[in-house]
Amino acid sequence: MNHKELIASMAAKLNAPKSVVADLLETTVATCTELLVEEKTIGFQSFGNFEVRKKEERLSVHPSTQIRTLIPPKLVVNFKQSNILKDKLKDLPHHD
Amino acid sequence: MIKEKISSQEIIDLVSSKSKVSKRVAEDFLKVMISSIEDALLAGEVVKIKNFGTFKLQWNEPRKSVNVHSGEDILLAGYHKVTFTPDVILKDLVNEPFAHLMPVEFDSENPEPIQEKTDVALDPLHIFSDQASEIKDLLSEIQALSPKIEPKEDVPVVSEHDSLPIELVDYQVREKPVVEQTQNEQQSKVHIPELTPEQIKEAEAVVSTPEVVEEFVHEKPVIEDAPVKDIPDYFRKEAIVQQPTESVIYHQEERINYQSRQEEQSQTNDSVSEFDSTEFLKDISPKRKRRVWLTILIIVVLFVGTGAGLYLFSPPVNNFVLTTATNAKAGVLKASENISITDMFNTISGWFTPKAKLTPVVKTIVVPKDTTANDSIDAKEPVDSLQLLFDNPRVYKTFIATETVKPNGRLTIMSKKYYGSKDFWVYIYEANKDRIPNPDKISKGTLIHIPKLDSKLIDVANPRCIKKAKELHDIYVKKAI
Repeated sequence: MNHKELIASMAAKLNAPKSVVADLLETTVATCTELLVEEKTIGFQSFGNFEVRKKEERLSVHPSTQIRTLIPPKLVVNFKQSNILKDKLKDLPHHD
Repeated sequence: MIKEKISSQEIIDLVSSKSKVSKRVAEDFLKVMISSIEDALLAGEVVKIKNFGTFKLQWNEPRKSVNVHSGEDILLAGYHKVTFTPDVILKDLVNEPFAHLMPVEFDSENPEPIQEKTDVALDPLHIFSDQASEIKDLLSEIQALSPKIEPKEDVPVVSEHDSLPIELVDYQVREKPVVEQTQNEQQSKVHIPELTPEQIKEAEAVVSTPEVVEEFVHEKPVIEDAPVKDIPDYFRKEAIVQQPTESVIYHQEERINYQSRQEEQSQTNDSVSEFDSTEFLKDISPKRKRRVWLTILIIVVLFVGTGAGLYLFSPPVNNFVLTTATNAKAGVLKASENISITDMFNTISGWFTPKAKLTPVVKTIVVPKDTTANDSIDAKEPVDSLQLLFDNPRVYKTFIATETVKPNGRLTIMSKKYYGSKDFWVYIYEANKDRIPNPDKISKGTLIHIPKLDSKLIDVANPRCIKKAKELHDIYVKKAI
């Protein structure tokens, strides 16, 4: 499901025009991004937490060339699903 | 790191205030959004939100584990997990504080530049030194040979360029008047040994230098001036000698021919039979000698050519040339100043080309001379306004704006805001060096002046600008470490 399909399904559920839903989604995303940039954790009830984690710098060795490279530290967004969502997903049959 | 947790309620508040809708609408929207994503995920779909990221379902296989207390094997059930991959935009924004950091390669950092140097600079130097040693060997051989042979044999040392034919012709011309000839022969015999040690020395130092050759050419007439004065032919020769080398070559050919004719004459002439034997020897030996000298001359010219090339085109080689081969360097300098290498080549070609082809050879000399001169100038002075801009020390006098550093504020963010690329943060740092001790950690509340920069310097589209900024970046970041 891509961005447009998501908007369409949401608009159908909300009985609202797509443009309004698109705007709202955009502001939500912008708000979340801002908060994440400030390294704040966002918790959505029954869905999960978005948090920024710092990956420490590390030394990586290229397997074939043996070149050692110092990978600088970085900040990444991490999502951890809530237990409610996990339980919901338990019912889902797995394919393999 | 203290993390503030924002609840969904706070998100609702923020969204409602931003998009100017009631909180109820925002709440409904958020709930619907989450439920839609969940539904899609439950349906096994991938959910992609623009500028934010992608939600995906991942099946984690059941795995065996050991109960810590009882030591029994237990099987952890497999489960589905929602994974979130942030969009590149979100990723970059979040990673902004560390965006300026680049991966540093340890092992390749040192060997790489050295390898480059050896490839570019040292290989020609190897050839250069090889040639130098070859020539030294040859010269030492000649030096070892010269004392054994008659002093006359040394004449060809100088004559490799110009003076040999003149000398020989002089003798042969003087052969006809018998009385004068004997005098001259003696005179020259006296004078030549005097010269030889000097000649050898000079030849060893700079065999190929045209200036030296000219010196000798001038020297000769001065010494022989007194005995030869009464021969009118001589004045013509002196005039020729002082002309540029090209014309000398031409006359050399003439003389060589003349010489051979003279030889025949001398063979038939019985009255001067006493001198014939010596003359004969002299005529044969130089011919053999000349061939050897020609090969030496070619090597020497090649050597000077490469030397001049190295000297002109790779400035770092100068040091090497200065220290290891000062003699050669002097030769190269003179060669580049006075007569170009092409002249040298023409001299050789003059030796080989038959008489008929001589005139075109002389004509062609002028053209390559000019081109080589132009080439060297071009190579020495690459005029580049952008490079000048890079090399000049930047002075920051005018400022576009002033910013106060926010918590977690970065120079890169400011750079992106004002210059369009985060790479140009280095210029902001340069302008505010006195206030920023460490570009990695700018303290909150610091007043940063954003300097006005030349638009050519911060051209985002120009890879050279980016490269320059990255170079500066490396300098400052390393300094900070």
